[in-house]
Amino acid sequence: MGYTAPAPVATPVLQVEKLVKRYRDVVALDGVSLEIGAGEIFALLGPNGAGKTTLIGAVCGLVKKTSGRICLFGTDLDSDALGPRFQVGLVPQEVNFDPFFTVTESLRIQLGYYGRLPDEVRIAEVLEALDLTAKADAQTRALSGGMKRRLLIAKALVHRPRLVFLDEPTAGVDVELRRDLWAYVRKLRAEGTTVVLTTHYLEEAEELADRVGIINEGRLLLVEDKRALLQRMGKKRLVVSFDRPVARLPEACTGGSVLSEDRTGLVYTERPGHPRAAEVLHALYAEGLPVQEVETRASKLEDVLIEVLHGRAGAP
Amino acid sequence: MNVLGLRTLLSKEVRRFLRVPGQTVLSPLISTSLYFVVFGVSLGGRMEQVTGQPYLPFIVPGLIFLGMANNAFLNSSSSLFIMKIQGTVVDLLVAPLGAGEILLGFVGGAMVRGLIVGLLTWGVALLFTPLQLVHPGATLAFLVGTAYVFSVLGLIAAVWAEKFEQINFFPTFVMLPLTFLGGVFYSVKQLPEPWHTVSLFNPMVYMVEGLRYGMLGSSVFPPLLGGALLAALALLATLVTYALLARGYKLKQ
Repeated sequence: MGYTAPAPVATPVLQVEKLVKRYRDVVALDGVSLEIGAGEIFALLGPNGAGKTTLIGAVCGLVKKTSGRICLFGTDLDSDALGPRFQVGLVPQEVNFDPFFTVTESLRIQLGYYGRLPDEVRIAEVLEALDLTAKADAQTRALSGGMKRRLLIAKALVHRPRLVFLDEPTAGVDVELRRDLWAYVRKLRAEGTTVVLTTHYLEEAEELADRVGIINEGRLLLVEDKRALLQRMGKKRLVVSFDRPVARLPEACTGGSVLSEDRTGLVYTERPGHPRAAEVLHALYAEGLPVQEVETRASKLEDVLIEVLHGRAGAP
Repeated sequence: MNVLGLRTLLSKEVRRFLRVPGQTVLSPLISTSLYFVVFGVSLGGRMEQVTGQPYLPFIVPGLIFLGMANNAFLNSSSSLFIMKIQGTVVDLLVAPLGAGEILLGFVGGAMVRGLIVGLLTWGVALLFTPLQLVHPGATLAFLVGTAYVFSVLGLIAAVWAEKFEQINFFPTFVMLPLTFLGGVFYSVKQLPEPWHTVSLFNPMVYMVEGLRYGMLGSSVFPPLLGGALLAALALLATLVTYALLARGYKLKQ
């Protein structure tokens, strides 16, 4: 499948060029090039082992790259690996906690690591935003799984980073936290923070992302504006059920229609160069067919991801 | 340099061991006190003078060394190793902390624990024998130098170890025999050949004797020899640790 690099973004906070990471025989990242602009929410999607976490790890200092270039806020990490990291936050995929400290102490330590003095106002703000205020003085080991995940997010945000990586931030958490986090991510974007998100919940990416990147086997297959992508690759489906079996379909339906075995159901998928769903519906009524129920379905990011991963689509 | 980051890591390391004082300070203190009671008070009364010193004051510097070296080593090794096992090492690696800051943060915390245990051991010794401090400067230098070297060695062990069995390897199979054969309970001068010559290859002998010189005013070896060895070990261990941390050896993928 051909891949054309996307147009450069206006003010990139992260630039990755031909990034390669090799583990002995395994190529985890195979020449990934990517730019992420200030203030956007970028969703990095792909199956398990695609290279999402390795890419984030290489940017955040957890993974040693084999070759390539990474620039954060315009600074090449080869020339200054630490300076730009004052402005970065990471929510790692695996939950971790330091059992010796309380929630508030963990946040104070995190602030200190990032060269910030203890800031009780900021800590209170983050605790509140993540619904952790009641647990401020709790020992981290006493927190539930969901609360530990909230603390991870709080730690990644407490020093007000300009770029935040959320690596599967809502894996295994309840719906409430997921919704809270979505709201908070939107708030972060409104404040100018750039968010890079990996998730298995495509609904999450669909809900939040401005742009989407699809990665598989260490290769970036596609980077595109989410809306444009859904518009370009998304398909509208028309699902019609009839009162009784129909003998034949109007000409507008041929090509792209699947009639059920008992001939009482029709699924029409819009394709370029073929009639639109509305025209098909109009033709059904015009022919006097016994239409009982009509439903339209727009394809989701999940469908697009599957299409791309199976090589049925590429970049624009 | 991220001064605040270093200060935070150092303070975190100190608070970490102070959260479990029974395990980190009291327990080693009890072990060392038992050495005083068994070797110093019970057996020591029946022993003659060693290198011109009564036995009880003679073993004080060695027991301070023992408590200090073990605890400095255990603090840095267990702290970083637990962070690796629990995954919290990610917080350190992602943060803008360089190899130097990580090294100094862990080593500083471990030195504080080693010195606390060493000084408390000295305090316990004062219950049994009067204070002797002939060369305060040399004593301080050997106390700090020993705490530093073993803190750095602990950090190397933590970077290298991937399993609990490995982290226990150094204290059990390297440090324990070397310290017990390092002249803590006897003077190497008393050893017959070939053990006397073999002992000369044990670096801990020179550290114990250095501390003995500082506190009691006499030692088997010139104190400068012990000081030079300690400085060389400190330099070598620091360079190795810095290189391992800078490379992210067994820390980064």
